[in-house]
Amino acid sequence: MERGLVTLIGMSIAYVASLLGMLFAWWAWRKRKPPQPKGGPR
Amino acid sequence: MIHFTALDWFWTGAFLLLMVGGAFFFYRLARRSESDFFLAGRGLPWWLPASSVFSTHTATDTPMWVTGTVYAHGLRGLWYTFFAAWTAVASFVSARIFRRSLAYTQAEWQTLRFGGLGSELLRGWLAGWQVFMNMFILGWVGMAMGKVCNLAFGWPLWVGLVLPTVITAFYTLAAGFWGVVMGDFLQGIVAVFAIVLVSMVGVFAAGGPTEVTTALVEMGEGWRLDPLAFTGWFTGDFPAVWWLTMLIIAVVGGFGMGTSIDWYVEAQRIQSAKTVRDGSYGLWAGGAITLVRNSFWAAAILAFFVLVPHIPNAAEYELGWFRLGFELLPAGLVGVFFAAILAIHLSTISSHLNLGALYFTRDLFQRYLKPEADERTLVWVGRIATFVLLIGSFFYGLMMEEITQWLIFALWLMMAGIWLPNILQVVWWRFNAWGYLSSWIANLGISWLVVWVLPSFGVLPELPEYVQFWLLMGLGAVVFVPATLLTKPEPIEHLVAYFVMTRPLGWWGPVRREAVRRGLLDEEAKPVAGERRPLIRRTWTPEQADAWSREDWIAIVLSPLVFGVGMIGLAKLLLLQPSGFTLTAAAVVIGLVVYWVIDPKLRAVSTDYEAKQAQYLERLERRLHWEYGDALGTTARTER
Repeated sequence: MERGLVTLIGMSIAYVASLLGMLFAWWAWRKRKPPQPKGGPR
Repeated sequence: MIHFTALDWFWTGAFLLLMVGGAFFFYRLARRSESDFFLAGRGLPWWLPASSVFSTHTATDTPMWVTGTVYAHGLRGLWYTFFAAWTAVASFVSARIFRRSLAYTQAEWQTLRFGGLGSELLRGWLAGWQVFMNMFILGWVGMAMGKVCNLAFGWPLWVGLVLPTVITAFYTLAAGFWGVVMGDFLQGIVAVFAIVLVSMVGVFAAGGPTEVTTALVEMGEGWRLDPLAFTGWFTGDFPAVWWLTMLIIAVVGGFGMGTSIDWYVEAQRIQSAKTVRDGSYGLWAGGAITLVRNSFWAAAILAFFVLVPHIPNAAEYELGWFRLGFELLPAGLVGVFFAAILAIHLSTISSHLNLGALYFTRDLFQRYLKPEADERTLVWVGRIATFVLLIGSFFYGLMMEEITQWLIFALWLMMAGIWLPNILQVVWWRFNAWGYLSSWIANLGISWLVVWVLPSFGVLPELPEYVQFWLLMGLGAVVFVPATLLTKPEPIEHLVAYFVMTRPLGWWGPVRREAVRRGLLDEEAKPVAGERRPLIRRTWTPEQADAWSREDWIAIVLSPLVFGVGMIGLAKLLLLQPSGFTLTAAAVVIGLVVYWVIDPKLRAVSTDYEAKQAQYLERLERRLHWEYGDALGTTARTER
C-alpha cells in the first residue's frame, strides 16, 4: 500500500484515541469547572 | 532454528527466575499507594532510574534496528541512533524543570504549565494518546519477540508474543513500578553482559579488532570506518543536511518536553528519583549507557559485515547480531544469551504496561471520573488498566501488524510537527494551551497534505525526510503562532505559581517580575562593588542555584559533545583504531568537567527544593481534586 495513505490511516487511528481522551476531559470540566482567574500580562 | 541443550534451558530458566522473582519481591511496597505503584514512592537513587532508562530502551527489535543501520551505513549509521542524545541536554534542562513540577505524567504537567479549559483538554488529549501509544508499542515489541522466537525455535508467532508478555505482566500487576524498576536493574545487568560478550565474540570471530579494519579496507569498504562519510550536502543516502537535521532534532529537542517519543517513559523515571539531582543524573546516565551499547553493537556489526558481506535483503542482515549470538556461542552460553533477549524484552514490556496504566489511572480515572478515590482503589484501577493494556496489545500485535508498520512512520511525522511547540511550551511564557493544542491538531492535516495529498496530485514531489521535517515544522508554525498570539495568555496567577515552583529556562521575564512584585521571589542580587564572581561558582545560595547561569550552559553545551565523541570514540576503540583512544579519552575528560561544573549547583538546587517538596505535593493533590481556593499559593509569601 502507498506510504502516504498508510500514514494517513496510521495517524488517524492515533488521533481518535486522543480525541476520546479530550472529550472525556471536556465532559469532566463542564461538571467540575473551577472559578476562572484573570488573564495575564500582554 | 538453533539447537538448545539442557544446559541452555537451565541458564535461561535460572536467569528468568532471578529477574522475575527479583521484581515480584517488591509487591508489598507497590500496594501501599498510587505513588508507590507508579513512581516507586519518589525515592529512588539515580542509578535505578538510569538502569531503567537503558533497559526500557533496549527492546527486542533494537538490536535489529541498530544492526540494520550499521550494516547499511557503517559507523556513520550510528548517528541514526544518536537521537538518544536529547537526554544529554534534557538532563540539565527539562528533567530539572519536570522533576520540580512533581507531575506524575506529561499530561498532568500540562495542567500545571497551562490553565483553564485548554489545559484540561490537553491533559485528556495526551492521556488518550499515551494509553493508545503504550498499547501500540506493546503490540509492536511483542511481535518482534514473536519473530525472534520463530527464528530461534520455530514457534508460531503468537507464542513469542503472548508467553513472555504474560510472564512480565505477572510481576508488573503485582509490584507496579517497584517491580518494573527493580526488574529493569537486574535485566539491565544481564543485557549489558550479553551485549559485551556477544559483540566481542563476533569481533574475534572475524579475526580480531585489527583484522576487521584491515579486511574492510581490503574489501574496498574502508569508508565504513568513517563516521562522517557523507554522500554530499544534499545528495545520496547520507547527505550532510540530514545529519545536521538529526543533530538539531536531538540536541535542541533536549530543551523541550515530548520532542522524542521516549520522553514520556523517561518522565516517569525522572519523577521517581528521590531528588532533582538524582533525576538529572538518572536520565543522563541512562542515555549515556544506551549510546555505549550502540558502540558495542557497531563494532560487532562491522565484524559481521566482514564475515558475511553484502547481504542484499534488509530483513536478513538486520538479524546479524542475533546470528552472532546464536551461531558463535558455545552450549550453555546460548541459554544465557536467550535469557538476555528475554531480559531486554521483559524490561520494555513491563515499562509500557505500567506507563499506559499510569496515564489511565491518574489522568483519566482519578482526574476526570473519581477524584475522591482512595489509595487502595487507585492501585486496583492501576492493576486492571495494566491487564486491559496487556490483552489489547495481543490483539494489536496479532491482528494489526501492517498498521504497526504504518504507525512507525506516522509517529516520526507526528514528532516533526510538534517538535517546536514542545520546546516553546517549556521556554516561552507567552505560549499557551490553545497554541499547543492547535499544533497537535494542525499537524494531522498538514502531514496528510505534505506526505500524501499534494504528492498524489503532483503539486509536491516526494520529499526527502529531512525536508519533510523542516516543512512540517514551518507549516505548523503558521497555525500555532497565530493561535497563541490571538488568544489570551495563561492566567498570571497560574504562571507565577508554575514559575516559582519549577524555575523554567528561557523567556519568562514578565512572570518573574510579577512573582517578585508579589513577594514570592527575591530580586536578582546585584554584584557588590569590588566583589568578583568566580569563573566557575562552586558554592551556591538557594537563590543563586535557582537562577540559570553559565555553569548550566557549560553543562548543556558540553554534555551532547560527551555523548557524540564518546559514542564514535568507543566504537573505534573497540576496533583498536588510534583515534578511538583519543576520542574516548576526550569524552571521559569532558564528562568529568561537566560533573565538576554542575554538581555543586545541582546539589544546592536539590537541597533547597526538597525542603519545600511536601508543601508542593499537598498543593498538587488539592488541585487534582479540583480544590482551587489558594491552591496556587501565589497570594502570600509562602515559598521562602
